[in-house]
Amino acid sequence: MKKYAITLALALLPLSALSAPPQQPKSAGIESPDYVWNADNGEKNEILKLKGNAILGEEAYRGCQGCHKTDGAGIPDGTYPQLAGQHASVLIKQMADTREGRRDNPKMFPFAGKHVVTPQEVADIAFYLQNMKIPHDNGKGPGTLLARGKELYLKDCQTCHGENGEGNAAEFYPVLAGQHYKYLLRELRDTLKGKRRNANPKMVKVIKDYQDADVEAVSDYMSRLLMPERAAEK
Amino acid sequence: MNHLRIAAFILCGFVMGATQAAPPDANVEKAQQIVSQLCFACHGMDGNGIEPPNPEYPKLAGKQAVYLLKQLNDFKSGKRKSDIMTGIVAELSPDDMNNLAKYFSVQKNKPGIITLPDLVAFGKKFYEEGSPEIGVPACAGCHVPDASGTDKYPHLAGQHATYTYQQLKRFASSERENDRGLVMQSLAMRMSEQEMKAVSEYIMGMK
Repeated sequence: MKKYAITLALALLPLSALSAPPQQPKSAGIESPDYVWNADNGEKNEILKLKGNAILGEEAYRGCQGCHKTDGAGIPDGTYPQLAGQHASVLIKQMADTREGRRDNPKMFPFAGKHVVTPQEVADIAFYLQNMKIPHDNGKGPGTLLARGKELYLKDCQTCHGENGEGNAAEFYPVLAGQHYKYLLRELRDTLKGKRRNANPKMVKVIKDYQDADVEAVSDYMSRLLMPERAAEK
Repeated sequence: MNHLRIAAFILCGFVMGATQAAPPDANVEKAQQIVSQLCFACHGMDGNGIEPPNPEYPKLAGKQAVYLLKQLNDFKSGKRKSDIMTGIVAELSPDDMNNLAKYFSVQKNKPGIITLPDLVAFGKKFYEEGSPEIGVPACAGCHVPDASGTDKYPHLAGQHATYTYQQLKRFASSERENDRGLVMQSLAMRMSEQEMKAVSEYIMGMK
């Protein structure tokens, strides 16, 4: 028993802190003259070549659902975006942009960087989420500027994001239907301020003269879009 | 020491009558013998710890065998530091560790007795929702809502609150750094004292 007493005493000695949390890298984004949106290189291309597996994706997604929830819906106050039913291509691009430092997200990075999620897991998670149903109880706006929102959306957004907010998988344009109002608001404001560094310059040009009331109006309209159910892929 | 070992061995046969059977490939008899010599004084014969709880001695009952084996291997390689466990695993062969991991994994976990009931409601909320403001994911996301865990994320239910709290503190200071992808270190660093205490208390009462 003497051994236990000695080892217990030793165990109470303080040990010093050794490491720091993983830091997100920083790559050139929209602030840089050489920035190319959706450049044909990097981890995105590597992941797009992999075949996603929904069963493995469900397992790998555990590391995400502490924030984005089991049903992929995030939270209606927009702190965490809705991901269910998003195009796999978009999810892969956004993950690669975050992992390579073109989209700043210090909150998410420790749980989504290359040190913890493999490229195959990103492919599996993206495939798993793409086949999930888009929830309709997402956070919506106040409903006071919907006519203005519709006018702006039809004029500026629908060409790329589709009449029903269905996006375009081949072009990496995200699904907007079912997204939380406050998340859309934040991302549009960040895009206008240049803080969403992986933004598409074409889109920045389209919305550059938006007043904050326009941003609110179009976000509210988008949060109410309903798109047809996606046929599940195998 | 010899008398103690014999007594413990007899006692252990007695206790084992009430516990579940191990998977067929684990050598339970051999594991029991080791438990009665090396483990029981701190972890209890059935892996439900000892009373009063000591923050250095976790409950092991019902944890995934793969998790327990990883911890034993990490103690052996020095990836997880413990002056107590380093000495103990030095005496264990890979087979012993495998048997022990399986033995404790099939013991029935018993929830602890809540001593700080005022913290439980907040602990439950934190376990289920995390802290969106500061970016701590919900514990339930990985460890599952009833804290029974998966092969990748260990079972937590019923663990002594003092142990869970101390491990959270050690992850936060990187004193414990054998977590996969630094995930526990990253999130524990974002947690407040109150959150650590509350979630530990809530976990202790889970079945």
